[in-house]
Amino acid sequence: MFSLKLTRWLIGFARFSVRGGSPERFYTSCARKGIYLWDISAGKTTSVCVAARSYRALRPLARRAGCRLKVLEKRGLPFLLYRTRGHMGLWAGGAVFLAIVFVLSLRVWCVQITGECPYPTAEVENALAAEGLSRGVWKSSVDPRILASRMMLKFPDIRWMSINMHGCEAEIAVRKKIQKPEIADFSGFCNIKASATGQVLSMKVYAGTPVVQKGDAVVKDQLLVNAVVEDQLGGNTLVHASAEIIAETSRDLTVRVNLKQPKTIPTGKTVFRRNLNLFGARIPLSLFGKPAGSWNISRSESSVSLFGTVLPLSVYEEKWEETRVAETVLTKQQALTAAKQEADRQIKELLGSGKVISEKSEEKWESSALVKTIHLTCEENIAQESAIFIKTG
Amino acid sequence: MHRPEKLLGMSDLSMHGHMELNGNREAVVEGCSGVLEYDETVVRIRTPGQVVRFTGRGLSIRCLTADALVVAGYITGIEFLG
Repeated sequence: MFSLKLTRWLIGFARFSVRGGSPERFYTSCARKGIYLWDISAGKTTSVCVAARSYRALRPLARRAGCRLKVLEKRGLPFLLYRTRGHMGLWAGGAVFLAIVFVLSLRVWCVQITGECPYPTAEVENALAAEGLSRGVWKSSVDPRILASRMMLKFPDIRWMSINMHGCEAEIAVRKKIQKPEIADFSGFCNIKASATGQVLSMKVYAGTPVVQKGDAVVKDQLLVNAVVEDQLGGNTLVHASAEIIAETSRDLTVRVNLKQPKTIPTGKTVFRRNLNLFGARIPLSLFGKPAGSWNISRSESSVSLFGTVLPLSVYEEKWEETRVAETVLTKQQALTAAKQEADRQIKELLGSGKVISEKSEEKWESSALVKTIHLTCEENIAQESAIFIKTG
Repeated sequence: MHRPEKLLGMSDLSMHGHMELNGNREAVVEGCSGVLEYDETVVRIRTPGQVVRFTGRGLSIRCLTADALVVAGYITGIEFLG
């Protein structure tokens, strides 16, 4: 029903009254002539609707039926447009508007990344822009398939990427790659040697012949598991030895913290530089250029969204904070904390999955530095592969 | 002697029009060839072979084309007049 009403409004229609004569004869003549009439009401206020373009053809038929027609109202788009015939500016404005809408609809105005992206959005957006997909580019210049392939080559942690164009929006659907577990390399032959001096606490030998026992003291580079395996018949076979030898080891660490340290301090002077990004064009809102001196810069971009769709309108802001380098003297507590942090970092790097059983530390205060020496007793895997090179031929 | 419509292969239905009623509020008549009488209480129309008379209250012709007509309103009677 709505579509019928809309069609009638688009083609335009007239409501008219039929007076005198024989209205029935008039209606029959109209029907026979192929003129479509609707909403024919009877009674004192007879009114009929007809398509605007057919109204002229009714006159002779009404005359023959002895009726007089009077237009009561005219409705629809043609009448609306006719009323604006004297306003050429309105027509020109409408035409320009349509042209602008048409031209704008041929471009990409929104690039949205969806799904689990293992890379920062800005990094992917920059790469997309480098490949030719950014706000304001022509939609026809973007080949989604080729672009997706190039992007997947550029970002190896992306399993697949699909670029879907929805009107003026480019949706970048991304799926993260699931990392493969590392495959242990068992090619070639090797012995297991001790990576540190200590006492063996436990042994798990997966391949090879163990040459030490639980409780034995071992020195660095001592053979722990032999790659030569002797079978029951007395034959020897070379294998890729593999084992986990947990031993109690001793380690010494020295951490030096300078009491006088250069530090970047903000002076309190802050400058904001803003740009308005409208349809891909950057309109500067701040009129001063890059300030001289040492500055810390933080950037942010706030986009305008409508019903979840990011619009091609955003404000880019750069916050410039002036800084100066000053030499600060650490207090005793600050120096100790810094030394502890550095020691923890070094222990983690040194032991990996091993653990510290006990530790003893000594602090030595020099005129300009704190030297902290730590004696560690650790439990760690000391098994270290040592390759055997065999010359053939 | 065969009737001409039988010779042309036309069915009885097409010769007498087709009428569809939606309760007593609307009647769709296909094969209507003219309006003979029309006011708020009576609508008399010509169909092939006979005249049909609708009586009721607040009757109106909702639309009229070369071969169809829709009568709407409160229909209390339909008469087929030879």
